[in-house]
Amino acid sequence: MNDIWLGLGSGIAFGFIIQRVGATNPQKMVLAHLMKERYIPQFMLLVVMIAALGVFGLEAAGTGTTRVLPTSLVATGLGGVLFGIGWGLSGYCPGTCWAAVGEGRMDAVFALLGGLLGTAAFAQLHETLIPALYMPTNFGQITLSDWLGSPALALGVLLIFFGGGVLLIGRLWGPQHD
Amino acid sequence: MEPTKEKSYWPIIPSAIALGGVMVFIFATFGPPASSSGFVTTLKGLLQPIAPEYIAGKSHYRMMPGPGSWLMAFVLGMAIGGFLAGRTFGREVHDVPQAWQNRFGSNKRRRYAATFVGGFLILFGARLAGGCTLGLFLSGSTQLAISGLYFGAVIFIVAMLTTRLVYIHKEDSHE
Repeated sequence: MNDIWLGLGSGIAFGFIIQRVGATNPQKMVLAHLMKERYIPQFMLLVVMIAALGVFGLEAAGTGTTRVLPTSLVATGLGGVLFGIGWGLSGYCPGTCWAAVGEGRMDAVFALLGGLLGTAAFAQLHETLIPALYMPTNFGQITLSDWLGSPALALGVLLIFFGGGVLLIGRLWGPQHD
Repeated sequence: MEPTKEKSYWPIIPSAIALGGVMVFIFATFGPPASSSGFVTTLKGLLQPIAPEYIAGKSHYRMMPGPGSWLMAFVLGMAIGGFLAGRTFGREVHDVPQAWQNRFGSNKRRRYAATFVGGFLILFGARLAGGCTLGLFLSGSTQLAISGLYFGAVIFIVAMLTTRLVYIHKEDSHE
């Protein structure tokens, strides 16, 4: 029961913030992807940097729950390609479309319905696609820490890499449109 | 574009600190946040009463909790959060974004058909990869997971190319 209240509260805070930053607005997503407006991609990278610092702190304090998803060269990549086409076409991703439905966007309602159908289609094919596409190139739950040998070093590299990304987007993307 | 005298969006640095804080809170109280998994949970809840044997026989539904779960509460919370934020924002929402109108006109059905197909692809792709922008890219990169960084790079590149192909022509001639 506690989980439900925690999930609900976290979801409300999450949905509220992403609406306020403009991530539920597909117009802004299109402008971001066309490199005309820099704010949403910069925001996403900053969120990762801040959350990574916080989760590093949680782990140091021996609390919190982490679960690293495996990397499958083919399935993670192919899934990303399909996802990228859908994201580019609609301007929505699975999380933002829930908040955008709440905001009253009718095109998001259709994205959500399409999403339910896409989920049903994948669930139907799971037994065929996971062994065929996911398992053969599955490298397991690898992290940057495994590659670099130290979690602190890996965090440092992530912060430099993403911080550089924020600056680069600031250079290459245009300023806010409205 | 919309008139400029409306309420403006939040600046990104305080917003990123706020959302990063929410992410850390979720890691502390639950585990890695995810939203495409919430679609599986929703569907499981919808199909369970109609086709219980089907749900019980499919591993994709077996691996996710049903509706009485953190995941279900989280995605519903997202909708409530979006509702509250939208209601108090004072800016009108458009069913058809301006960039789409510039390229394809204001026919709502065409836009809805496109977002339906887009929604299908983002969820099919996310379920194949194991997560979405939140569950795989944001949560994964936060945990320094290669899967999250790899997925993030692919989705940004492909979405940027797709947007260019779909939206670019008239968008430019109108400016």
